[in-house]
Amino acid sequence: MTDWLSGALLIVGAFFYAAGTLGLLRFPDVYSRLHALAKADNLGLGCVLLGLALQAESLAAGLKLLLIWPLALAASSAVAYAIARRADRLGVKPWRKDAP
Amino acid sequence: MNDIDLVVALFLLGNLIVALLAAARGPTAADRMLMALLFGTTGTGILVLLAQVMNIPALVDVALVLALLAAIGGVAFARRAWQGDGHD
Amino acid sequence: MSIAFDLLLALALLWSGGRCLSVDRLDRAIVLFIAFGLLMALAWARLAAPDIGLAEAAIGAGLTGALLLDAYGALKRRKA
Repeated sequence: MTDWLSGALLIVGAFFYAAGTLGLLRFPDVYSRLHALAKADNLGLGCVLLGLALQAESLAAGLKLLLIWPLALAASSAVAYAIARRADRLGVKPWRKDAP
Repeated sequence: MNDIDLVVALFLLGNLIVALLAAARGPTAADRMLMALLFGTTGTGILVLLAQVMNIPALVDVALVLALLAAIGGVAFARRAWQGDGHD
Repeated sequence: MSIAFDLLLALALLWSGGRCLSVDRLDRAIVLFIAFGLLMALAWARLAAPDIGLAEAAIGAGLTGALLLDAYGALKRRKA
């Protein structure tokens, strides 16, 4: 049962990683690419970590795996904020469908 | 269960390489830096999976360091290196 | 399966290293260098050397990348 759950979580995590990469390749401007990357990839990382924590031998090892996630979330949201603010400061216009 | 771990690690590595190939010729400086950000997250995932597959718990620490320092690289880019009209 | 992982990793390492040396723009070379450092850390992990991988991830991908980006920004500011 635990094996199945962990495998399913790993596959869901891989799917979110693929979604993040697809967003990086296909979205039209810096802000939307940032949006795809910072959220989808970190959700993928969270699913992978949860799936691996279910396989861990001891409670301490599992908790350590899970503790990586808040760190990655804080780091990536800080970087996403810094890059988006800088892009706005430099005058990069957000993409609009009607006015290219 | 090691099989699916390795398959997911391989898939993530393929993901990483596709992003590397595409973003190395990305249009703006920010795109290339976004690739470095993606490398941080995906590399953390691959290292954690490798720690399980190869049964080396120390690799989890490597993953932690990578997650932390990818953020430093991104902030250094945003605060110090990226200037100009944004499309260079 | 693991041989496929290793081959893919080695190919990506060679490509990013060669591209980092041959690309003509400094900012692209820096980003490729960061990517190379990360792939190198993965390679050390694959070789069951987590200590060297830790050093590579911290120094190669993280700190040197940030320092190079800072130096690039300083160069650009001086030129402007």
